[in-house]
Amino acid sequence: MRVLLKPVQRWVWGDAARRGLRLLRFAEVEADGGRDLVRAAELTDDPRLRRLYLRHARDERRHADIFRRRGLELLRAHPAGDALAPQRDWLAPGERGLDDVDVESGKDGPLLAFLHLSERNAARDFAVYRDAVGGDEATRDVFHRILRDEEFHMNYTRAELARVSPERQKRLLWKARLSRLWKAYLRFAVALAGLIGSVVLTLQYFILLPPFAWISKRAERRAPAGWIELSPEAGRGLDRQY
Amino acid sequence: MKILGLSAHYHDAAAALVVDGLPVAAVQEERLSRRKNDAAFPLAAIEYCLDEAGLEPDDLDAVVFYERPMLKFDRVLTTLLRSFPRSYRAFPHAMKNMLGEKAWVRGIISSRLGVPGRKILFTEHHQSHAAAAFLTAPTREAAILTADGVGEWATLTVGRGARGPGGTTIALEREIRFPHSLGMLYSTFTAWLGFAVNEGEYKVMGLAAYGRPNMAEAVRKLVPRTADGAFRLDLDYFDFHGSAQRSFSDRFVQLFGPPRRPYDPIDLATAEGRRFADCAASVQLVLEDILVDIARGLHERTGLPDLCFGGGVALNGVANGRILRESGFERVFVPTAPGDAGCALGAALFADRVHFGNPDRDLADHGFWGPAVDGAQLARIAGEDGLAVDEMLIEECADDLAAGRIIGWMDGRCEFGPRALGHRSLLAAPHEEAMRDRLNRDIKYREEFRPFAPIVPEELADTYFELPPGGARLARFMSGVFPVRPEWRERLAAVTHVDGTARLQTLSRDFAPKLYDLLLAYGKRSGIPVLLNTSLNIAGEPIVCSAAEGYSTFRRSGIDVLVAGSVRVRKRATAEAAREEEYA
Repeated sequence: MRVLLKPVQRWVWGDAARRGLRLLRFAEVEADGGRDLVRAAELTDDPRLRRLYLRHARDERRHADIFRRRGLELLRAHPAGDALAPQRDWLAPGERGLDDVDVESGKDGPLLAFLHLSERNAARDFAVYRDAVGGDEATRDVFHRILRDEEFHMNYTRAELARVSPERQKRLLWKARLSRLWKAYLRFAVALAGLIGSVVLTLQYFILLPPFAWISKRAERRAPAGWIELSPEAGRGLDRQY
Repeated sequence: MKILGLSAHYHDAAAALVVDGLPVAAVQEERLSRRKNDAAFPLAAIEYCLDEAGLEPDDLDAVVFYERPMLKFDRVLTTLLRSFPRSYRAFPHAMKNMLGEKAWVRGIISSRLGVPGRKILFTEHHQSHAAAAFLTAPTREAAILTADGVGEWATLTVGRGARGPGGTTIALEREIRFPHSLGMLYSTFTAWLGFAVNEGEYKVMGLAAYGRPNMAEAVRKLVPRTADGAFRLDLDYFDFHGSAQRSFSDRFVQLFGPPRRPYDPIDLATAEGRRFADCAASVQLVLEDILVDIARGLHERTGLPDLCFGGGVALNGVANGRILRESGFERVFVPTAPGDAGCALGAALFADRVHFGNPDRDLADHGFWGPAVDGAQLARIAGEDGLAVDEMLIEECADDLAAGRIIGWMDGRCEFGPRALGHRSLLAAPHEEAMRDRLNRDIKYREEFRPFAPIVPEELADTYFELPPGGARLARFMSGVFPVRPEWRERLAAVTHVDGTARLQTLSRDFAPKLYDLLLAYGKRSGIPVLLNTSLNIAGEPIVCSAAEGYSTFRRSGIDVLVAGSVRVRKRATAEAAREEEYA
């Protein structure tokens, strides 16, 4: 799949402004991931894991800074026309930003399995992006530096999973894989449902709403500007939602 | 009676529990979920409040939501209809947003908590703000002013409140309705300046001090006054009523120039940077002028000496300072949580006093209603990491501060509201600009134009700051900005903003005894009993709540010493280095 997407990635990463925006988005994803790891460190009872999670969180923050710095450099050199447009989450591949990791349960085994798969996935993606950026040496170097850390993250999460859950480690990894697939499906389903909902609502907007809009605009013209006096009885009953 | 107040779904979700007329617990969801400005249904906050009182949901007499969801839906739909057909893109977005969860609050509360629908009540949004401001203030009768972006329809209300043995009344007499909103005016400039709305407004206030209000006349075009002393927004300059993408219109851009791209730094040495600062200064001045004028009119109408001010706009300390000085009120009370989170407490108190008619009770004059910190937890975690753990002694902490160390200070229950008032604070020496830069660089990771606040014993505040009558009271919850006396500005460089002001907190001993003693002990060493006080968190994260969260913040930042209750932990370079090597 990744091989098939390579030409697409080359096209996506070929434009400097788009590259800058994507790096800024990656910075947000890394920062979010860092916050999840901080939370994991706060919740775990295992001192060794706490230290590793905190180190990992510091790495993520550093990555966020690196991505952000390079993204800004690119955007300053090549201003993006749609820089203010909202960035869609599903455009940002990589780590936990997409995956809504369940940190709050405080269970280290499932979390480590999830982190291991996420890091491995991110490492593969970043390797593809590194190759896709073409002659942009500075961006290539950014991915290269971050990939080194990803390797450490992959290794420690796997080793710690084996330590924390020696007997259940394979099961936990499979569960994490299935969970990622399920979440990918959910994301797709939610996006599709959102799209269908938007189409239906837009049709309703143009078909059903015009007479009400006309009435509403007429009423607006009659509405007084300035202070509106309130009756002493206003807002008395608390059992109403309106 | 046991009444649970809730706010949720927009920003700063929170829960507050009132038992027999007194708050028992109140906390923002973000402090427990660790997601900044968490707007989700505040399940963790509810759980904490009930646990604190040893209650189950069945024990509650009422659950009060802070606004009327269907009235809000009415406003959203009407606004979209009024801007037809321009609102065709905003419509699906808004409908999915409202009809997903926000419109079905009674059912959600009922299903999540298992309480019957008849126990679920709804106050109006600005009633909740008014109650949060008036019923938490130490006054029997006061004028009330609330202002925010928008609630259901109201954006600003004025009225009066009275409480005593004869009962409690909160009467909102007049209101200004959406889309005419001071909060939306300020938020639109916040968005145009490239900051996040509902989050970056205080950055606009900080930036304003660097600019000149030379565009105030242009801003006044956007918000002309009406003949009756109110105001309206000229909607040709705005787009928040018809667009989900952008709150300002092309005409706005023609008037003020292109917006700042969020990722561009503000360089005040450039013309572009100064343009943004001038615009910030201009909108700040116009906001202040209108608020002062409305407050003055309210004072003339009511003739009362006290004003209770609530709503998100009441977080604007510069405006609050001017209201106190210029409106004629002798005292201005702003609660610790004037924004939507505080509505949870306001809704519960309103239901208790006004709806159920329960007798008036005096509330504790503080905002420490959140979870308490556990020093033993800090000692255990730090001990596991090989850090030096010892007993917290005020004198040693004063020595740390005098030696230029930064202390993360956790004491007792955490604050309800956005300010660190001395229970979850970062403390540092306030004398050198280098300290401000160090905090920004190593801990807070934030823009250099944002100031830090000082904290000072209440009775000594006047020595260092120019406080008008009533100023010390306004500064109790860090709600006012006042000038630093010129002779002290150089020695208080880390907390003196570029315009010579500071958003100080005045501290009485009963409010936070340990911190008060620390201020005096530090004063003996430095000659100035003033400390820099900022919230204990890293950029993008909520203020810490538990010892474990304080510890993780300590480990990831340049904090030198961490205190939790009676436990003190110091960072040791050798221990740190050893750990780093172990996992390198």
